[in-house]
Amino acid sequence: MENLLATPTQSRPQPLLTSPAAGGTPVLQLTNIEKVYQTSTIETVALNRVNLTINRGEFVSIMGPSGCGKSTLLSLMGLLDEPTSGTIAVDGRLVTSYSDRELAGLRNLKIGFVFQSYHLINDLSVVDNVEVPLLYRPGMGGKERRQRALAALDKVGLGARTGHFPGQLSGGQRQRVAIARALAGGPEIILADEPTGNLDSVMGEEIMDLLLGLNRQDGVTIVMVTHDEQQALKTQRVVRFFDGSQVG
Amino acid sequence: MLRHLFTLIWNRKRANLLLISEVFFSFVVLFGVSAVLITTAKNYLAPHGFDYEQVWRLEVRAGQGLEMPRAELDDVLRQVKALPGVQTVALTSGNMPFIFNTNNSIFRYKGKESPTTNVYDADDHYAAAMQLQLREGRWFAPTDDGSNHRPVVISQDLRESLFGDAPALGKVFTYGVPGAEIKPENEFLVTGVVENVRMSSDFNAAEPAVWLRLLPYDTTHWETANVLVRVAPGQGGELQEKIARTVAGVTRQWTTEVRVMNDDRLSKRRYTLVPVVGLSIMGLFLIVNVALGLFGVLWYNISQRRAEIGLRRAMGATGASISRQFLGEMLVVTTLGVLGGVLLAVQFPLLGAFDLPAQRYLLAIAAATVAVYVITALCAWQPSRLAAAIQPAMALREE
Ligand SMILES: Nc1ncnc2c1ncn2[C@@H]1O[C@H](COP(=O)(O)OP(=O)(O)O)[C@@H](O)[C@H]1O
Ligand SMILES: [Mg+2]
Repeated sequence: MENLLATPTQSRPQPLLTSPAAGGTPVLQLTNIEKVYQTSTIETVALNRVNLTINRGEFVSIMGPSGCGKSTLLSLMGLLDEPTSGTIAVDGRLVTSYSDRELAGLRNLKIGFVFQSYHLINDLSVVDNVEVPLLYRPGMGGKERRQRALAALDKVGLGARTGHFPGQLSGGQRQRVAIARALAGGPEIILADEPTGNLDSVMGEEIMDLLLGLNRQDGVTIVMVTHDEQQALKTQRVVRFFDGSQVG
Repeated sequence: MLRHLFTLIWNRKRANLLLISEVFFSFVVLFGVSAVLITTAKNYLAPHGFDYEQVWRLEVRAGQGLEMPRAELDDVLRQVKALPGVQTVALTSGNMPFIFNTNNSIFRYKGKESPTTNVYDADDHYAAAMQLQLREGRWFAPTDDGSNHRPVVISQDLRESLFGDAPALGKVFTYGVPGAEIKPENEFLVTGVVENVRMSSDFNAAEPAVWLRLLPYDTTHWETANVLVRVAPGQGGELQEKIARTVAGVTRQWTTEVRVMNDDRLSKRRYTLVPVVGLSIMGLFLIVNVALGLFGVLWYNISQRRAEIGLRRAMGATGASISRQFLGEMLVVTTLGVLGGVLLAVQFPLLGAFDLPAQRYLLAIAAATVAVYVITALCAWQPSRLAAAIQPAMALREE
């Protein structure tokens, strides 16, 4: 933990892109965020006065020890939960006033999620899994859904496995299905919570390369939680957390 | 979305087969119970075909080892008839309405056989005492005394089975039992046709009936004379006592018991209701069981599928669309189970089972279908709301 904190965070190995701090367009802005989980016995401060801006086209890593609030941060960014205090703005608009329906619409259009444990629906084939976010897009027909899902699967190199079921795939393949699902809706932002956490280093590398490609070639903004220093070094910015607070 | 539901249900066919068979099972039970209840209700609402109010029944008994000559019996009937408050007195057989005493047979006319038919003895005053409703011809009268055949009146349903649309009055039919002795009193001459009667109980359907005219034959060896007495409205215990005293006044050794037909009807009704109520309770019990089963399976499903729910929310589903999805899945599963049940149930009218009209079965199918949908909707309601209320961030948490 100590050495984590001690690690300098200025490493920017991708000088090809413009510096995020200067001149970027903010897509997500978190201001003075506090998140407190209240249970009958204890009160957990998961996030404490967090200020974070994610700019368009950025690839940001979030690092920090287990339990420091990384997943909480991601679910706030993904509009899955509300902060106890503070504000979140998407494309410069505060989301506090959105209804459940509008939030769902925003998630569907703008955000793709990737989880450590993939969260595929085991009773659906690969292509049906990838179609799930498109089911919630008003006015999209079955044909277009299928086309988009197949295109997304091609992109992650699983064009040949569309009829398989998740149980028939390796961990790396499953995570690629999950990435295809996140991509299918054409989101601006992908939020990935330890996407390589359940994978061995070779498969983890593949997934990392895939995400890097999406960021560089397609300009997808990515926020990724990781424990892997090497991976973090490949991204443009590393944000470090400790005990609910931003430390770098 | 509907195709997505079908895909999901098809891919989970093993789990869903259990649900579908539960729905199927409850449909079949509900169909059976509905058929019985509808039949019972229809019977109950149908007219009796006679009037049981203000009718008393007398069992006149001669004392042990004593004879009952016709002349003395006629004297008794005359004196009872003469009592103020008594309107009509009629002699009949022991199988009076609403009591556990039946006498039936099968009849034949030109190769046509009747269903099982209740056989009653009746004198010339019976129709007035019971207020039977005449459709054709006339009731017995003293002019029938010279008849070569035994005059009878039949119910409309017996008329239809023996004569169809052809005329019935004046026709002669016989017992349908093979080998029955052919003698004049077993050749039945139709003098009248009355409306169908329901004399068994309030909940029984009409049964074919024939009334054979009591011939003025010797009653010396009768042990009991069964007498129907129609009284004026408002008559009670006082008149009953008077009747008993009158009977005893004619011949000292004779006794009589006076019973009110409406009381017979009420006690028979209680008795007949027992199996219906029993069946309904059993059906209800089964349905509650099935409902609890459905509820449990749904509840379990939703707790199993928390992550899926969280995921769908993250991908843009609203709480309402989650709840719609679960209700939709249940609707499809219910429909499959109901379809199976209907397929089985329509065999009853198709095969003409139990001699019930097809419309009755269709009504029962409709009732069972509505009930199954209501039950599953009730069972799915709460779990679906629960599913909609699941916090996506919580459901997606990984430890
Ligand atoms: N729903 C919740 N209820 C109560 N406590 C929670 C809940 N979610 C997270 N926490 C707590 O908040 C803190 C941060 O959790 P989390 O964001 O999952 O951390 P990380 O992802 O960095 O491991 C932890 O102490 C965790 O136990
Ligand atoms: Mg976490």
